[in-house]
Amino acid sequence: MQTSSISQRRRALLLAAGASLVVPLAHAQAGEDIVIGGSIPMTGVFAFAGVGINAGIADYVKIVNDGGGIKGRKLRYVPEDTGYKVDVSVAAFKKITSQNKVNLYYGDSTAFSRTINPELERTGNILMTGASFATELNDPVKYPNQFLVGPDYTEMFGILLRHIAKEKPGAKVAFVYSDSEFGRDPIDTSEALAKKLGLSVPVKIMTAPGSVDVSTEVIKLRRAAPDYTIFHGYILAPIPEFITQGKQMGMTSKWMGTFWTMDSSTVMKMGEAGDGFMGVMPYRYYYDTSAKAPMLDKIRQLHPDYQSTAYIQGFLAAMLFTEAAKRTLDAGKELNGKNFKAALNSIKDFDTGGLIGVPITIKGNSIPVGRVYKADMKAQKMVAASDWIAL
Amino acid sequence: MRIGTLKETYIADAALFDSRTQQTWLVLGAALLLLFPFMASDYWLYLACLVSINVASATGLNILTGYTGLVSLGQAAFMGLGAYTVAILEIRVGSPFLLNLLAGGFVAMAGGLVVGIPSLRVKGLYLAIATIAASFIAHFLFANTAFTGRTAGLTLPPASLFGVVLDTSFRLYWIIVPVTLLMLLGAANLFRTRVGRAFIAIRDRDISAEVLGIALLRYKLLSFGLSSFYAGVAGGLWAYFFRVVTPESFPLSMSIFFLAAIIVGGMGSILGGILGAIFMTMVPELLKLAVGLLPGGSELTVFLSPVRTVVFGLLIIGFLVFEPHGLAEVWRRIRRFFHLWPFRN
Repeated sequence: MQTSSISQRRRALLLAAGASLVVPLAHAQAGEDIVIGGSIPMTGVFAFAGVGINAGIADYVKIVNDGGGIKGRKLRYVPEDTGYKVDVSVAAFKKITSQNKVNLYYGDSTAFSRTINPELERTGNILMTGASFATELNDPVKYPNQFLVGPDYTEMFGILLRHIAKEKPGAKVAFVYSDSEFGRDPIDTSEALAKKLGLSVPVKIMTAPGSVDVSTEVIKLRRAAPDYTIFHGYILAPIPEFITQGKQMGMTSKWMGTFWTMDSSTVMKMGEAGDGFMGVMPYRYYYDTSAKAPMLDKIRQLHPDYQSTAYIQGFLAAMLFTEAAKRTLDAGKELNGKNFKAALNSIKDFDTGGLIGVPITIKGNSIPVGRVYKADMKAQKMVAASDWIAL
Repeated sequence: MRIGTLKETYIADAALFDSRTQQTWLVLGAALLLLFPFMASDYWLYLACLVSINVASATGLNILTGYTGLVSLGQAAFMGLGAYTVAILEIRVGSPFLLNLLAGGFVAMAGGLVVGIPSLRVKGLYLAIATIAASFIAHFLFANTAFTGRTAGLTLPPASLFGVVLDTSFRLYWIIVPVTLLMLLGAANLFRTRVGRAFIAIRDRDISAEVLGIALLRYKLLSFGLSSFYAGVAGGLWAYFFRVVTPESFPLSMSIFFLAAIIVGGMGSILGGILGAIFMTMVPELLKLAVGLLPGGSELTVFLSPVRTVVFGLLIIGFLVFEPHGLAEVWRRIRRFFHLWPFRN
């Protein structure tokens, strides 16, 4: 009896050992998935965008998986909240990459993109994009494993300035920007471009990000009497204050913004002051039905309510990730950062299903395309004020 | 019950680690620290390094606030001074990284001495505001000087030691943790010296300390200098760890983080600084892990992320209300329980 009991125990041990071998094997099978990791700011100051980005990526991953995946391989999305803090974001990256064989990654800020870049280069396995449109990241030599899901901030200014040069040659354009890396990013290069386009920049005003009392700055702006004023480096404040006070002082300037200001819900918060507010948007708005956009139709089917431009950004990021993975697999190449990026850069005249109104070609690290939209407060919508402008 | 702690000499009485039990635990702790990198994943190694850097900086602030009674909200600015010094030396001079770390410490120390000057005239909240001003001045300098790369900041090459490039958390661990341990040892010893006791005397009643012959300005400045030195070295380690230093790397909220760490951990206790830094760094991560264990995947993350932040906030408030002496006091109580067991609990 004793012997039998020991043998049963041994058998149980053998079974347990066998099971412990099988479990990692099962994980290895799951590792065949193509994994998208994400440092996503679902709390903190950038949560308004992070929640949308997260939903956009998750929805596209579901669409791909429901359609059978990429060449039979499923996409797996592993997000972590970062609170928009670099150290937390890096911790999320380390956690996700040490628990999964990550192929693609979405980062939440310029600082994170910059911080994690040496790690991306060292491991060489991951292609990354993110919420940042920093001009610095648009450098394939310095950031070979990253790309931007749209134009960089300098290119956004380029799109606006080209629109202005066409609409009013020789116009005076004022730049109002925040005292932050985000705010200062495109200013110097854009001033040079404005001059090249025959425009003048009579005044550049820097304020604290999110500042409230801007009366002194508005007086300075009024004195310069610009035909156009471009705000950059803010989400909302102090833009409405500038416009309200400027209009009260009789300014006739047209007011403009860049991507993070341009979500429909943000512009509509400007109230009456925001009527006619213009800005650059690389994507088509959720409710823009002016042209055929099957991918937007799909999004509308999934969500009958308005989805933010951050959502579209996340969705498009996942779409480009998928396309890069598909092309790499089609070429029979190893799934690594270098091959993903080469596949991404092979994209020519790619149809985004109407998310971007023209076929896109990814040259370096960015997609230098956008359109100028204008706020119609009566309709509570952004309406196109230009055609798609590709740089 | 703990017995056999009879001390027969002054040296034994003044020993830093005075009992066999304590020494045994220390040896076990050291062994664990040695084995940890070989057992932990990249994620846990990353957290260990981050905790270690935060422990170093929190200990520095504890010297100033916990032991000398001078409130400071400028710790992040001093870390920034150290980080920028290290980055500039690494990029432009290429000097050895241990030398750079020391230089980072001394530059921050110089900054601390300047900021500490008002400490003779003002105390408490007034001094806190003066140190906030230091934060803003430092931020302005970082963001507007060509030398510091302006708003884009500086990107460092990895440190290297004897030809080994320290570019992974595993390799950096062997530098960051020993440097922090050395700093902890230094701080623990400091309060067994005349200088440390002068700090404590100033904290307890500065006028009485002055009457006793303690030169207030000298010791207050020294405390600021030492605290900033710790912050500078921590900032230097931070720079080598993240390899990117920007003006936005060291916000005011970071100074508040360290102040909260020493309050939660226990002011005026070396162990308090350690426990507080561990708590402030690890609890958000552990809460994240706990949320991750719940079924529901990424959809649940969206809903539970704000809840997690609220829970973290409540935990801090809970500690302040129920244990104002911090985690160190909780630890002391646990120890006392075992020392006295089974006679009293």
